[in-house]
Amino acid sequence: MILTTNTNKNALIANVEAKEANLTVADNLKEELVALIDKGNKFIVVNFENVVYVDSSFLGALVSSLKYAIANQADIVIAGLNKDIFALFQLIRLDKAFKIFTTADEAAASKAL
Amino acid sequence: MPVSKKILLVDDNQLVLEMMGRALDKEGFYCMKAISASAAMDMLKLDTPDIILSDYHMPDMNGFQFRQNLIGMPDYSDIPFMFLTSEGDNNLMLEGINLEAVDYILKGTPVPVIVSKINNFLHTVREQHERALKELSKAAVSLNLNSIPQKNPIVKGFDVDFWHKPFQNYPGGDFIDFITINEQYTFVVLGDVMGKKWGAWYFSFGFLSYIRAAVRICISEGNFSTKSILQKINAVVYHDPVVNDVLSSLSLIMIDTVDASIKYSGAGDLPLLYYNSAEKTTVQITSAGMLLGLMPDGDFDEFILKLNTGDQIFLLTDGIIDFEGVEGKRTDYNTFITAITPYLGESFSEFKKGNFLKEKTIAHVDDCSLIFLQKIA
Repeated sequence: MILTTNTNKNALIANVEAKEANLTVADNLKEELVALIDKGNKFIVVNFENVVYVDSSFLGALVSSLKYAIANQADIVIAGLNKDIFALFQLIRLDKAFKIFTTADEAAASKAL
Repeated sequence: MPVSKKILLVDDNQLVLEMMGRALDKEGFYCMKAISASAAMDMLKLDTPDIILSDYHMPDMNGFQFRQNLIGMPDYSDIPFMFLTSEGDNNLMLEGINLEAVDYILKGTPVPVIVSKINNFLHTVREQHERALKELSKAAVSLNLNSIPQKNPIVKGFDVDFWHKPFQNYPGGDFIDFITINEQYTFVVLGDVMGKKWGAWYFSFGFLSYIRAAVRICISEGNFSTKSILQKINAVVYHDPVVNDVLSSLSLIMIDTVDASIKYSGAGDLPLLYYNSAEKTTVQITSAGMLLGLMPDGDFDEFILKLNTGDQIFLLTDGIIDFEGVEGKRTDYNTFITAITPYLGESFSEFKKGNFLKEKTIAHVDDCSLIFLQKIA
């Protein structure tokens, strides 16, 4: 398991439990997010609080999960990015694909409104 | 530089974990330490070591049960496994070795001997691996499957060159292509399929085929817009079940030799670097487009740049902006820009020979590619 989950208001928070989010855990991420969507979760916050580095395989899995979410009328948003990773998201325009929040709480609150 | 090897040490004795951990750290290994078999199972979910070194006598789950569990799990059964235990009973030793363990080492064995045993084993694995890799690469070459060009294109009034370094010598997700339409137009393609090694490499051919087709179709229809070429590629990729689960960045440039200009559109790619020779300034040009296949409308745009003699363009993929820092890996575009700036303006052949790329080759953690264009007299 690469994700641990908890609920916060109407959101499901999925915490990435790896310091280095890379190729070795990318497949797990996709599988676990797909399973969460299949269970009927409609608003998933992927929380990067514990992550210091992501590689392109992991980002690929994340984006491909987003496509799966959209096809199933669900949404995946992002929270807790460190400075480097946030810059990377902006650099390759992933900030256009994902809503990005500073913290998981903030992301959950956005859905509660 | 060899990548540091990860060892998962499993022992219920904290002292042994610390002592062995320290000895192995000193030898350049990276140690993951687990105080029980179940703690080790948790660690395996997050990271894959090159080898597991486990005790036999442990409460709850002993070393044999641990090994048996791993054998039953396809994700972990291939990780080489050694026992490191004080249990010297001949029957048990035999039982341990028979559990597909590569070695059974007694704890009294001097640490340097243990280290040598691990080193020798990993060395053999590496050699076999490299041999297999060579065979596969040979097969790919004989099938004419190249995602990187064999030579630079000849473009009148321009110097076009590239540098590419695969990750740990695997073919990877980066792809480069030069499509010469006629004396006036040449397309430059740089993409990065998100993923590593063989999986990404395989898909790079899929993307390259679409890109080549889209370029040719647009040109034959008299459409010379890089933006509309990207829109066409994106629409196909978005709907095609073979590649729509895989995403790729793309930088597409069309060189116009008559007009001495370039047209540029990008999809989730890193900003292009434009060096103005007369002003000796560098500008980053960021395209608006999203990764290929991500959204039905990729939001693409198009830049036209008139180039004067000496002006340079750099295109890059993200592997080149990753760093292995003191606190682990990180991605930092600005550090890269600061590092490369002093070299802008000099000739690419000198740049290729210089220290900048040599250091990159040592430190890189993913495929790295760089395409270079310069307007010459």
